Amino acid sequence: MTSWYQRKRTRELALVACFLAPALSIFFLYRLLPLGWNVLLSFQSWSPLKAATWIGVDHYEEMLLDDDVFWDALTNTLIFIGCSPIAIALALAIALLVNSDLRGAAIYRTIVFLSYPLMTVAVGIIWRWLYDERGGFFNYVMRSSGVIDQPVKFLQSFDWALPCVIAADFWQVLGFYMIILLTGLQSIPQHLYEAARVDGVPAGARFWRITLPLLRPSIFLCIVVGILNSFTSFDLVYVMTNGGPGHATELLITYIYKAGFGQSRFDYAAALTVVQFLLLVVLTMLANKLSGGNAGSLER
Amino acid sequence: MQRRQLLKSTVAFSAATVLSAPAIAQTPKKISFLTWNLVHLEAQIKGWIQGFTSTRPGVEVEWIDKKGPEVPVYYATQLAAGTPPDIVDIQGALGLEYAAQGALVDLTPRFAAEAAIKGRYDPDYLSNWVFEGKSYMVPYYVSKTLLFWNKTRFKEADLDKPPANFDEILAAADKIKGGDKTGMLTLNFDWLYWPLMMMNGVDLLSKDLKTPTFKTAKAEEVVAKLAAATKSGAINSISWTGRWVEPNEAFATGNVGMLQAHAPAFFWIKGNGPWINGETLGAAQMPGDWATPNSHGLGISKGSKQPDLAWDFVKYLTDSDVAMQFSRVASVLTGNKAVDQAILAKFEKDDPLAFQVLKTQVEHTDKMCGNWRLGNDSRVKDAFWPEFQSAMLGRKDAKTALADAERRVLRELKRA
Repeated sequence: MTSWYQRKRTRELALVACFLAPALSIFFLYRLLPLGWNVLLSFQSWSPLKAATWIGVDHYEEMLLDDDVFWDALTNTLIFIGCSPIAIALALAIALLVNSDLRGAAIYRTIVFLSYPLMTVAVGIIWRWLYDERGGFFNYVMRSSGVIDQPVKFLQSFDWALPCVIAADFWQVLGFYMIILLTGLQSIPQHLYEAARVDGVPAGARFWRITLPLLRPSIFLCIVVGILNSFTSFDLVYVMTNGGPGHATELLITYIYKAGFGQSRFDYAAALTVVQFLLLVVLTMLANKLSGGNAGSLER
Repeated sequence: MQRRQLLKSTVAFSAATVLSAPAIAQTPKKISFLTWNLVHLEAQIKGWIQGFTSTRPGVEVEWIDKKGPEVPVYYATQLAAGTPPDIVDIQGALGLEYAAQGALVDLTPRFAAEAAIKGRYDPDYLSNWVFEGKSYMVPYYVSKTLLFWNKTRFKEADLDKPPANFDEILAAADKIKGGDKTGMLTLNFDWLYWPLMMMNGVDLLSKDLKTPTFKTAKAEEVVAKLAAATKSGAINSISWTGRWVEPNEAFATGNVGMLQAHAPAFFWIKGNGPWINGETLGAAQMPGDWATPNSHGLGISKGSKQPDLAWDFVKYLTDSDVAMQFSRVASVLTGNKAVDQAILAKFEKDDPLAFQVLKTQVEHTDKMCGNWRLGNDSRVKDAFWPEFQSAMLGRKDAKTALADAERRVLRELKRA
């Protein structure tokens, strides 16, 4: 009986392994192997035409002690991440609005979401022209209405460039956050609100005590997407400012690209990638912890 | 038994087929040719390739074109994969970087063996791709910076000729500025702004390329003056923030007095500025005749399996016939002296303004600057430029910016 059961179980496991093998091999080839090779590369001196030599932590030492651009890029990336709660709060406000009995809510929902499926490159081009010093929409409106005499150099200013890029990013991801939060809102059982109303709980308390806690999984997802977005906004920055002026809008991801393909320092770019990866892991874990663990799940 | 026989026969037949294949089919000699943003010349390039292969049976040329920013990425990945294109069209100092990394074939012995080939070219343009005494590229199409001046804006400011020195540039720019008008623009990529420094005797590095030489009182004065002019609007701030389209577009509106750019900008601004003609636009050398080159050259990848064939193709593309056709359709100079003289004569007759522009490209070629023969030019550039830009946009004062730039450039030189 036991041996029959064991044979059956082995056959089942073999079948499961067969089904999993294609997906796992792709995951291994395209994810784990490059990641492993990247980590190895970060401890080596290598270029496409030079054999790799082991140099230990030299790249990390250079990065931490002798590379101002790395610190600029890291700071900007953290600012980018730090701003995502603002976008999430804004998206939550819109989600609450379109989830209410507002007339034409479906139309507003579509309008807000429309920006998300746009290609990021297109978003970058649109916003670059909106900010343009000479023919840009913002300068045109402000000059026409007499608010300013001289055009504001939005993307050419060390002070304005990063907030401008972040605003463009907000505009694009807002629709996505809104849909996630709206889905979360619609999955909250209505009887909880009805019971609260019967008990005379004011609207503010209903939001803080029912809506927000039950939205935790959706908010967690938005935060994770926000973190990922900050690490992958390469195209937006590349199109709008290319990291400039100076390195005012340089993100880790744009710096990695420049180190690798602009300066042919693939080994150093690998070390930067490792740091970005670690940062991503730490921040995701932190977000998980802050949202109560288990990816913000409500079930215990 | 029968099954075994059948199996044996199948194996024997397969082996015979596979082994005999190379003997039956001629293996073609194939080379690949990577160009830099020349897709608009598809018909011509395919025609030239056809001309090359028609006299060489069994030879194939694969043409690959990439847009400017994609070329270094594409070439780097192909180098990493061990399959670099045999012939590469590379812009500016990037060729020296590839040479320093060992990606390109040293063409010095080939030039030595075929002196006539070397003799075709303006030696100053040819020397742009000499790294540590060795030649790595053949000029394909050449250019250097010049000064375009808007005669209408100059006339309005009571000026009648282009400035003769740095202070005259700033004074003219200051007189022209006002309202939506600005006095001057410059392209800034690939050190194209360096003539502004060089005309004041400020160079980036010592002759041996080992020491920064730009942190001087004179350099501080020049940087401070440029920053002040930018702040006042005499110099358009796009000079320090735009790359190609933005500054050229701003000049094409007709609201800017001067533009320091290389010759290809002329055809762009002419296409976008309906006001441009011989009466309204002037072309002159920058004061001191200083200019920064931004030429394209053809190199042969060291990974090429057909270096001799690749060299033949390079010679074919740059010989007088094909170079002349290329020069005509692309409105460029080639660095090939005979071809350039012929094309200039044609322009002098057909388009005097274009002639005036292109003529500057073959004059004073001994006064080229910003073309240090560095194997890590992009890193030095990335070290210097953000600090210089910070000074121009008023984030740092000239002294601090140059001190920071020196520290960063020195670090890159030590790393090399």
